[in-house]
Amino acid sequence: MTGKALVPIVRLASGRWRAVLLQQVSELESEAEVAAMEKAIASRGYYPFRTDEEEMAAFAADQAAVDRLFHKTVIDVMARWMEIAEKKLAGSGIACYVCPGNDDAFEIDEVIAGSSAVSDAEGRIVDLGEGFTMASTGWSNPTPWKTHREAEESDLYARLTALIPADADCSHWIFNLHAPPRGTGLDDAPELDENLFVKNAGQSVVPVGSSAVHRIIEEKAPLLSLHGHIHEAKGVARIGTTLCINPGSLYEQGVLQGAVIDLDPRRGIRSYVLTTG
Amino acid sequence: MTEKPDLFLRKATGLIRSWSVMDAFIYAFFSINLVTLGLYTMSQAYAFNGGMIPALIISAVLILAEIVVYSGLIAVMPRAGGDYVWQSRILGGGVGFILAMTGWCFILWLWTPLYADMLRHIVLVPLAAVLGFKDAALSIASSPMAWLAVCVITCAFVFLVIALGMKSYARVQKFCFWVGNVGLLVVLGLLFAGNQGAFRSNFDAGAAQLLGLKDAYAAIEAAGTAAGATTPMWGGSLGQVFLLMPFLAFFNLWPNWGATLYGEVKGSQDFRKNFLGMASALIVTTALAIVLLLAIDKALGWGFYMKANAAYWSARWGLAQGAAVMPVWPYPAFLAVLSIHSTLLRVLILAAMAMWFFGWAGTIYLSSTRILFSASFDRLLPEAMAAIDPKTRTPFNALLFMIIPGLVVSVLFVFNIWNFSSLTLVSTLVIAVTFLGTGIAAVVLPFTKKALYRASPLANFRIGKLPLISLFGLVFCAFLGFLLYEWLVDPGNLYGISYRNVPSMLFMGFLYLLAVGVYVGMRAYRRRSGIDVDKIYGEIPVE
Repeated sequence: MTGKALVPIVRLASGRWRAVLLQQVSELESEAEVAAMEKAIASRGYYPFRTDEEEMAAFAADQAAVDRLFHKTVIDVMARWMEIAEKKLAGSGIACYVCPGNDDAFEIDEVIAGSSAVSDAEGRIVDLGEGFTMASTGWSNPTPWKTHREAEESDLYARLTALIPADADCSHWIFNLHAPPRGTGLDDAPELDENLFVKNAGQSVVPVGSSAVHRIIEEKAPLLSLHGHIHEAKGVARIGTTLCINPGSLYEQGVLQGAVIDLDPRRGIRSYVLTTG
Repeated sequence: MTEKPDLFLRKATGLIRSWSVMDAFIYAFFSINLVTLGLYTMSQAYAFNGGMIPALIISAVLILAEIVVYSGLIAVMPRAGGDYVWQSRILGGGVGFILAMTGWCFILWLWTPLYADMLRHIVLVPLAAVLGFKDAALSIASSPMAWLAVCVITCAFVFLVIALGMKSYARVQKFCFWVGNVGLLVVLGLLFAGNQGAFRSNFDAGAAQLLGLKDAYAAIEAAGTAAGATTPMWGGSLGQVFLLMPFLAFFNLWPNWGATLYGEVKGSQDFRKNFLGMASALIVTTALAIVLLLAIDKALGWGFYMKANAAYWSARWGLAQGAAVMPVWPYPAFLAVLSIHSTLLRVLILAAMAMWFFGWAGTIYLSSTRILFSASFDRLLPEAMAAIDPKTRTPFNALLFMIIPGLVVSVLFVFNIWNFSSLTLVSTLVIAVTFLGTGIAAVVLPFTKKALYRASPLANFRIGKLPLISLFGLVFCAFLGFLLYEWLVDPGNLYGISYRNVPSMLFMGFLYLLAVGVYVGMRAYRRRSGIDVDKIYGEIPVE
């Protein structure tokens, strides 16, 4: 849910502004140009901030200051999104559930908890009505980046079995698990070397999903299993009768990908479609 | 002094570093494969008046426009699916589906016998001959049943590659790249060290020993001249040089072949890196082709080489009377090893050169399966098309969708049913039409998808007031327009696939109608199921 980069727009001694987005250097003159750059940066899912050369030098030398700025920006943006959700959803009767992923710091949970329109589904069983139940977690198996919410496969499996009752009939359950099941194609990511460089020009992909997630889907056979985490691996797969979906992510191109799924209490999944907004 | 960063990153998944240009180079280098595609198509273009080397250079310069277009589109929309996704989003879902399915899937059926033909002539026939299996070599070279068996072997190899996964095949490709290039270096050395006098005696002796041919050199000289071998190495008017390009496109139109695979890989938005990877492959391959042709001229004599090609192809196409005086394809590496007498060395050199095939051929259906997956996820093909076997992680259905029709087309081609063996350049034409769709998408992108374009790094690349991608898109479209005119109208009757070739028209018509039928049918079927596939391509306006 949260962005991965702070992009500085630096005021130069000449009075102009300088920003680097996607390896492209832009020198900006007017307030309108700076505002447009802020919008371009935000549309990529990054956080723009205005600064000057002196402050940039200070940030470069002080990681703690960068962390504080990240923290403040993440919280501010998340709070703004919650406000937007409240405006859009008030009185609509639409229930909105979110589940922070492995990249998201724990601080954002408090912001979501304070929202009247958005519910945090992390670690919860939610009754969606009409006989459907949803179990969610944003935790993933270990990644090379050692992010906030990741656990060894055995711990992740324990977390999942603690969440889903052993005697549950999951024929009308939806598993909303951030990490995709391993080896299904929904978890294909570019192979990396030890320094996190992409190998073989991105041609070589390897499965990086969770075996714990795969196992719990096999064991419980839910109706539907929703995933994310591996942005490149948009797709649909079946594990037994379970329909597994990863809509992928292109937020860095300012594109919202999703899945629209039509559920029917009798027939289960009536239809689904992956969207690119 | 502390270095000033351009941005600050927090710990997060996916923050990976970009690939090396060298890796991108290797993939593109194999896609425009000099030893397989290059030699195969140049050998067929024996009856022209434009110089082969000027045609290679000028076509490469024009194809740089293609590389700008694809590098640009990858930078703006680096999504798995390539042409299909770009065309769907920019030109509309129907256009994207029809052009991508025909150009990246259906037409690959026709490539199956062509890949197999290259496998037998570059790998099997020369190795069998130098190992002393004369009858086997001649049989593989001329028997339709043997060729069909090689089609099956080709499909089995591709099946194995995809089952092994790209992680393994990428390693195989790197091995093949280095070994193949060492092989080529040795062949170049042999050719440059030789001379035409020595070659004539070596060729006559080798042809007699390995293929049972008597006085082969003189017979080929006569047969090649009678067949009309005219293509010079240099010279010819600009117009005559351009007329070679519809043949050369079979070889050098594909530096973008990895475009469907880029997906959302970090660093793929780096326009310069994408451009460098593909452009360096095109430039190096073109330079290597020129060096190889110069080496052939030095050792064999350009005239003899073209006559050997003419003798072989005219007999194979039924244009020459009597028995074939050149019963095997005049493969320059095979001709080069005739100057050495050690069987072991001959085998080692030819085996090294075989890596040019094996490092390249595994990807024949790889892009096709990706397109099939994308279309399946967009609900325009059945969900089963994207199914992956849980044990082997092999997309059996998508592979069978490519292999079975590929083998059916192979039967038609190999046994020349309905004049199918004349359709070689159709394999290039249909993909060129797909590329034309992408070229048009590139031209209009900055004007029809303004927000997407402005938010991309490409927005900074302009020539005057014109967006770089539009300008180069126009050049690319003009080049493709010329190729399509020559193939389809063919005023000089040079390429054999024009409107006058009814099976050619019917085959292409069938492919496009099939794509239209699948699109219209699936769209209607999904609509009845409550799914409006148009929504898949719809975009939510930015607030």
